Amino acid sequence: MTNSPDERGAELRDLFYETSQELLQALNDEALKLEKRPGDEEIVRSVRRTVHTLKGDSAACGLRELSELAHQFEDALSMEGAAAHAAVADIAFAAADLFSEMIAAYRKGHKLPSTKKLSKRIEELTSTPAAKKSRKKKSASLNKHAADWTEYEKLAMLQAQANGQDVLHVAVKIDPHCAMPIAGRQLIQNAVASMGPVLAVRPDAKSAAASKHVEFVLASVQTPQQIIAKCKIPTIAEEVTVDLLYQATSAGAQAVPDLTSDSKEPEAGKEPGISSAAPQSESQFAASTLENILRVEASRIDSVLNLVGELIIGKSMLQQALNDFAKRYPKDLLRGKFADAMAFQARVLNDLQRSVMKIRMVPVDQLFRRFPRMVRDVARQCGREVDLALSGQETDLDKGILDAIAEPLTHLVRNAVSHGIESPEERRKLGKSPHGTVRLNAYHQGNQVVVEVSDDGRGIDVQKIRSKAIELGLMTAEDAAQLTETETLNLIFRPGFSTAEQVTEVSGRGVGMDVVQSVLQRLKASVSLETRPGQGTTFRLKLPLTLAIIKALLFWVEQRLYAIPLNAVLEIARTVETEVHQVDNYEVLQLRNQVLPVLRLGRPAGEPGRSSKLFVLVITVGERKYGLIVDALEGEEELVIKALDDHTFSTDLVSGASILGDGRVVLILNLSAVVEHVAHLRPQEMGRAGSGLLLTHTDRTRLALTPPVGGQA
Amino acid sequence: MEQFAPVKRSKDGQAVRYLIVDDSVFARKNLARMIESFGGQVAAEAGDGLTAISEFDRTHPDIVLMDITMPQMEGIEAAERIVQQHPEARIVMVSSVGYQENIVAALQRGARHFVQKPVKPEVLYEVIKYVLGEDGAVANAAGAGA
Repeated sequence: MTNSPDERGAELRDLFYETSQELLQALNDEALKLEKRPGDEEIVRSVRRTVHTLKGDSAACGLRELSELAHQFEDALSMEGAAAHAAVADIAFAAADLFSEMIAAYRKGHKLPSTKKLSKRIEELTSTPAAKKSRKKKSASLNKHAADWTEYEKLAMLQAQANGQDVLHVAVKIDPHCAMPIAGRQLIQNAVASMGPVLAVRPDAKSAAASKHVEFVLASVQTPQQIIAKCKIPTIAEEVTVDLLYQATSAGAQAVPDLTSDSKEPEAGKEPGISSAAPQSESQFAASTLENILRVEASRIDSVLNLVGELIIGKSMLQQALNDFAKRYPKDLLRGKFADAMAFQARVLNDLQRSVMKIRMVPVDQLFRRFPRMVRDVARQCGREVDLALSGQETDLDKGILDAIAEPLTHLVRNAVSHGIESPEERRKLGKSPHGTVRLNAYHQGNQVVVEVSDDGRGIDVQKIRSKAIELGLMTAEDAAQLTETETLNLIFRPGFSTAEQVTEVSGRGVGMDVVQSVLQRLKASVSLETRPGQGTTFRLKLPLTLAIIKALLFWVEQRLYAIPLNAVLEIARTVETEVHQVDNYEVLQLRNQVLPVLRLGRPAGEPGRSSKLFVLVITVGERKYGLIVDALEGEEELVIKALDDHTFSTDLVSGASILGDGRVVLILNLSAVVEHVAHLRPQEMGRAGSGLLLTHTDRTRLALTPPVGGQA
Repeated sequence: MEQFAPVKRSKDGQAVRYLIVDDSVFARKNLARMIESFGGQVAAEAGDGLTAISEFDRTHPDIVLMDITMPQMEGIEAAERIVQQHPEARIVMVSSVGYQENIVAALQRGARHFVQKPVKPEVLYEVIKYVLGEDGAVANAAGAGA
């Protein structure tokens, strides 16, 4: 290794900072378990194990304070009776917090937080003060032959002598610097025993002198030199002396006793056979599996993904060129060759895209695992008894999305605990178990990942939301009465609604819901909720698999090109203007046997159209279906989403833009915002038949919706 | 990092192959670095006792570095089981000061040696030379295992 010690240290420390996060998470998890089952020795053991690893790792990085604190905690945990102490879980929580603060401080080079308070609590854990630091450095003098052998031992010596073995006295002085003299002693004993049967050992392993020196009586056919060589164990045995007590009687050592060969044989005989059986190829294989986990900065993967996106644009450029070529030379043989090459390239590109996306995927567990601790803390704060049930943790999700939903999800979980779940007394009165349950679940659904937060609490009172909305002047009583239950529930995501403080007490679900909504909209995700009075509430987040690339349907409205995510499209139908009816100021479309609310992006109905024939895209947003009327269809394409800068482009109706193979720019509509927008307009503005959303909207938006580059004239 | 004269297998001059067992990724990497500085090769890694056993069966390493406290199966039990199956296995226990009794137990069950955490490279180097005994050879700088 060519690295300087400093560099290596820094590298190690970085590694420690990363791995320690997992340890801290584990510590939190264990503390939670312990809180549920106080005094469980198995859990205390695993707490100790975690703290132990943390201690060792931090010591290796030279993070002395952390290592010492961890050491103290570990020691305390190994004390008898400490496990049963009720405060263990609390201290473990406090320790996890403090460790994490300390690591952050080390990392940033800040001043370390004080460890005194925790240290004191740990001390209290052990009723008997740990006063075992009496390690004397005085070296013991070796007193040869001091030991008195018992009758049995003497007999054994004589027998060994008669068997043709020398009886030797082996005295070993244990290195005073050896930190584990008793283990060292055992090691020496093992070494001695490998030379022949040990007939006697002095002093007793439990005596105070045991850590200083050890003597054996050994029957062996080996020479004293061999024995010394074997027993002179580096860092453990400081001095070895071997004296012959009794020489073997039958001078011929031909009858090698079984005992000696027993310990020697396997080493000499079996081992070469086995380890040489491991062929070269296998060791190469082992080397390749060695470094099977790589830590890479997310930005590097992003840049690869970005390049893949550019490649996809390149692919559609090629496709376009090929189409032109095919039109011009329909009979040219080269056409087929081009097409083959294109198909091949498209396939590889597809795989490439999928592989890169996979790199970005992480299990939802990374996010879920934060919640047990949080739920516990929140539940404590507001006097609830709450169990958290997790499922579907192995579901993979894009890291970017996962990070982005952390906050809204935290919010939902926090709300579920503090507002959703009733107090234990209330629950008891209602005949429910005093323990509320908050459930986090994740699963794949088609091209989406669904994350659910549900509770078995009091649910949301729809009537109260309605009256609150009227009270806040969001709508008239008449309008409110017309809202369906789902529509009413969705009111809580309205900014005006949620910031009203008193709503919190009424609906229990007011604060910050608009934040949840806005984050999810940015992600092209949606949130819906379901509630049953007295039985609980479920929030369902539907998240896209990735943020970067979508399959989209392209269409024309008012000579402008737009795109919507293909997975929102249920069907494409043709219809005629006469099928669009006006009901209660709503435009609806009768398509076969279903009636759909109509969304128009362009020219309002009633104006003379070029044709009375219409294309209708049946789309789903949330739980509802809509008919989106468009002028013409362009086709289906994979779009690489380019984020639109808020400064140049400020509307939530569009979630992004993309460049097509021929350089045209297409705007990707944010359907949930479009639908919501129409819903907002509806009660007041529908009367003006102003359903032509993009054109009747304010001038600012209209300007903004003009494609910035390469737009159609 | 300090430079050590590479230790090779005396029978074929190849690198000594190691199995590193520790539930801390960090500790494993740390040991792996040391081993590489001794001219050794990491044949496999394991994060718990059960994996250690299967990795031993798969790779038959020359030396096993085994942590004591691990989930699933502790180091002592793993060491014991490996030695039962492969009496020739050279297992070096790696653990902290507080675990002396466990080390004694491991040594009684067939572990060959122990080192103390935090592991010092020079100590580990000596221990490995000792544990290999005649099966290991310190290559001098000139003609290392070629």
